[in-house]
Amino acid sequence: MSKLSLENVTYRYSVGTPFCKTALDGVSVSFEENRVIGLIGHTGCGKSTLVQMLNGLLKPTEGRVFLDGKDIWENPKEISAVRYRVGLVFQYPEYQLFEETVRQDIAFGPTNMGLPQEEIDRRVEEAALFVGLEKETFDQSPFELSGGQKRRVAIAGVIAMGPEVLILDEPAAGLDPMGREEILGGVRSFQKEKKSTVIIVSHSMEDMASYADELVVMDHGKVARTGSCRDIFSDRDSLLGYGLDVPQITRFLIELNALGVPVRTDLFTVEDVRKELLRLYPSLAKGGKR
Amino acid sequence: MITDITLGQFFPGQSVIHRLDPRTKILGAIFYIVIVFLAKNVFSFLLLVAFTLFLVLLSRISPKVVLKGLKPLIIIIVFTAILNLFGKKGETPLISFWIINIYPEGIRYAIMIIIRVVCMLAGTSVILSYTTSPTAITEGIERLLSPLAVLHLPVHDFAMMMTIALRFIPTLIDETDKIMKAQTARGVDFSSGSLIRRAKALIPILIPLLFSAFRHAKDLSIAMECRCYRAGKGMTHMTTHRFGLRDYLSALVMCAFCAAVVLLNKYAPGFSL
Repeated sequence: MSKLSLENVTYRYSVGTPFCKTALDGVSVSFEENRVIGLIGHTGCGKSTLVQMLNGLLKPTEGRVFLDGKDIWENPKEISAVRYRVGLVFQYPEYQLFEETVRQDIAFGPTNMGLPQEEIDRRVEEAALFVGLEKETFDQSPFELSGGQKRRVAIAGVIAMGPEVLILDEPAAGLDPMGREEILGGVRSFQKEKKSTVIIVSHSMEDMASYADELVVMDHGKVARTGSCRDIFSDRDSLLGYGLDVPQITRFLIELNALGVPVRTDLFTVEDVRKELLRLYPSLAKGGKR
Repeated sequence: MITDITLGQFFPGQSVIHRLDPRTKILGAIFYIVIVFLAKNVFSFLLLVAFTLFLVLLSRISPKVVLKGLKPLIIIIVFTAILNLFGKKGETPLISFWIINIYPEGIRYAIMIIIRVVCMLAGTSVILSYTTSPTAITEGIERLLSPLAVLHLPVHDFAMMMTIALRFIPTLIDETDKIMKAQTARGVDFSSGSLIRRAKALIPILIPLLFSAFRHAKDLSIAMECRCYRAGKGMTHMTTHRFGLRDYLSALVMCAFCAAVVLLNKYAPGFSL
């Protein structure tokens, strides 16, 4: 049984006005446990609407959403319990910070859940560790921190709620390469340790290639494809049809191959490509820095 | 969540009303409100309702949308009607118990108030807010007030402030929606609990919203300076409206309507409300 699944979900915005728009069109998809799933698609394909379905922030116009096999809208009064189990980090989450100190802001979710104080403290420290926040920042105002640090506080605020499923909408948007790696690495280690389900919405094929186990490709309010990174990225033509492309490093291999260099073109991370190039040209290893 | 608000929203279109000069529409809307309050008897009220329907049809905005725009104001309409129902005194009470007396005059007055308010809101929305883009409205206001610049009143600054305020309403609504959702995902409950609890639940919304309003203000002022904005000196508009035949004709129609209402008031006095 899958952790979270959508069955024939349709969602329309502003029903009954001239601005009515179908954001999701009969989507059926399931997300399995204990892995990182990447949700990719070009702008406006319905990714953000889809993730809001998963924790009950939006109610499907038609269709059903299941968490552990149970319809989350069966009893609408219990929907807040679903929101504790499925944590959602929005795009640019740093704009939702409001408490006086970092510690209070991270503790906001767990406090709303009504946990005892020691448990809250424990969770705050654990969550801060995952996202790489130093303890010195705990008593600072979140508004004094840098953009990247704020982002970490906001993500920690959701992780501290101890969700079984963690959904992040573009968690690395607008960060420098170091920040991207630290945040996505932190999310990855959270997933490994808690054996939870993590869903990452992203535009970056490179990030997806290095962090996602599986991919869900969306196009025009529908799920176009699902599969492993290898399945999806080896079919460049259909990706281009969805307004996406393979990771840059793979494009580099394809160009190299076209120039007559006998490299494989089915590698998607920089690390794998480095190994492949060293296999072809062992002499590079001596002169290279790595 | 809250993105369904339609009052004061512009619906692009090509109808006669859409194509009028914004100045005509602003003055027309004010004139229209005056006429609404001039109407005094059954006939002038019938004419008023008919004219309002005519305007709605002319604007080619679906009557459904107009009615939906009135929905949030139902409480206010009902409240004023009830106040008038009990407030107006007459000769013989129709219903009377304890300290409450309802007179036929009160009922008539309440009905009249409902018709007036509904006509006023529906009429002004189709004349102005539904059919005029916010930029056209501010252009209209700026040009109507421009004679005051002679008195060194900062008409342009005023118009610019209005444009910016109008421009940011949808942005802030979107942002409120996003912040509300983000905090809901963190377990805030806006719809249950005591009044104090609900008021407290607003803090996580208001602080980020205020913060982002200041951020927008800062970003916008820098962007304006980068584009050499210097408060109106020698500034022209991208599109300038001119009074045309259409505008003169609609002014004529409005005057005729006003005259008809006044005449009906005077020469059909038997049905006076």
